[in-house]
Amino acid sequence: MSYSAPAEIIPVGIGPPESGLGRKAWSKDLSDHTRFEELVLPHLDAAYNLARWLTRDVNDAEDVVQDACVRALKYVGSLNDGGARAWFLTIVRHAFYDWCKRNRPAEIARDDGTAIDMAVDPAAVDPEQALLRSAESKALADAVAALPLAFREVLILREMEELSYKEIARIAEIPIGTVMSRLARARGLLQRSPLLHAAN
Amino acid sequence: MNCKQAESLVAAYADGEVDALRNYSMNRHLQGCAGCAAKHRSVLSLRARIRAEVPYFVASPALQARVRATIGAVQASVPPRPRPTGDRWRWLSGGVLAGCTASVFAWMLGTTVLAWHANEDFAVAAVATHVRATLGDHLIEVASSDRHTVKPWLSARLDYSPPVQDLASEGFPLIGGRLDYLERRPVATLVYRYHTHTIDVFVRPETSRAPMPELRTVRGFNVAHASGPSMDWLAVSDAEPAVLSSFVQRLAREDVSQ
Repeated sequence: MSYSAPAEIIPVGIGPPESGLGRKAWSKDLSDHTRFEELVLPHLDAAYNLARWLTRDVNDAEDVVQDACVRALKYVGSLNDGGARAWFLTIVRHAFYDWCKRNRPAEIARDDGTAIDMAVDPAAVDPEQALLRSAESKALADAVAALPLAFREVLILREMEELSYKEIARIAEIPIGTVMSRLARARGLLQRSPLLHAAN
Repeated sequence: MNCKQAESLVAAYADGEVDALRNYSMNRHLQGCAGCAAKHRSVLSLRARIRAEVPYFVASPALQARVRATIGAVQASVPPRPRPTGDRWRWLSGGVLAGCTASVFAWMLGTTVLAWHANEDFAVAAVATHVRATLGDHLIEVASSDRHTVKPWLSARLDYSPPVQDLASEGFPLIGGRLDYLERRPVATLVYRYHTHTIDVFVRPETSRAPMPELRTVRGFNVAHASGPSMDWLAVSDAEPAVLSSFVQRLAREDVSQ
């Protein structure tokens, strides 16, 4: 169940290839910059939210998104119009794993998908957010932030981005069965989280 | 479907990921099985809590600006790639743009012409009504020089209340009012006298049409138009055009506090 972050992005358009075939030829003529603004930039919030939950840090998330945007611009020519969000999130995830290898190699090594240690990670607690939310609602956010990386990412993609199992499988580069088992595990961990029960 | 099968499907069911047939079986099973229904509910309630309590972080304006700046810089440093098939699409897009522009222009022209026609029709109908009224004895339905008699009479018969003024002091005595039927709706008509001329003034709530000409002649009658703050005023008479025009503009000020 272990996985590693790929070093190079393979820019494949995610989403049904038949979608937007008519527009594809049309879009070829647009500059990459225009395509990026039209297709990718609308999903900047989704990219930032994913990066933010993966890095659990404002500045790190912005760096990851920035890197992802540079990569997305490079490959935007190969993007089919359908599924731009999932395509962009794939790139964000790659950018995150590359960033993580450089800055937090321990997290990838620790999070090999078998970790169920639910000890509170101090990095998961964000003082800025703590001021904004009540203690009870913060508990669930903290529990999500404390999920092991492999579970956290599928949970965010499913419950916050509302992506299908198929899309999540493509983004996280795992089989659909693994998406389902990780999602079940993530939900189970949240429901039994000591953080939640401490608050109640 | 038994509980073992249902249990393996309950999360996918809650995620909307099971096919129609199994969706139906799950539906039935959950109605009868309290245990599996509770598992289903727990997935849904966790989702509701996540959506309510776990923040969705949005990109700050600073990040948006930073991304745009970087993209611009990266783009500038990359030489443009040759686009062999570009011209055809540029021509096509030009054609599409021209087509759209032409459609919009045609639509605007069409609506203007239609509005102009409607206004023309209204003026012609008003003149016809004026002629019919002055020929017969249908000129006045409420004969009064008192605006406090004419106004309530009209208000009672219309869905609007036209301002009524008696301008006898300025040489235009009010002699009465009547109800006409123009453009498929009832219209208040005020009747004034100017020397030996009869002036019919048609008062309608302000309509959003193309602007009417202030003065014109239809079949020898002068038709003067003015827009007031709440009403649209059209006067028809054989009185002099300049007099009629200034009279209708005086009325359209709707200055009833005299």
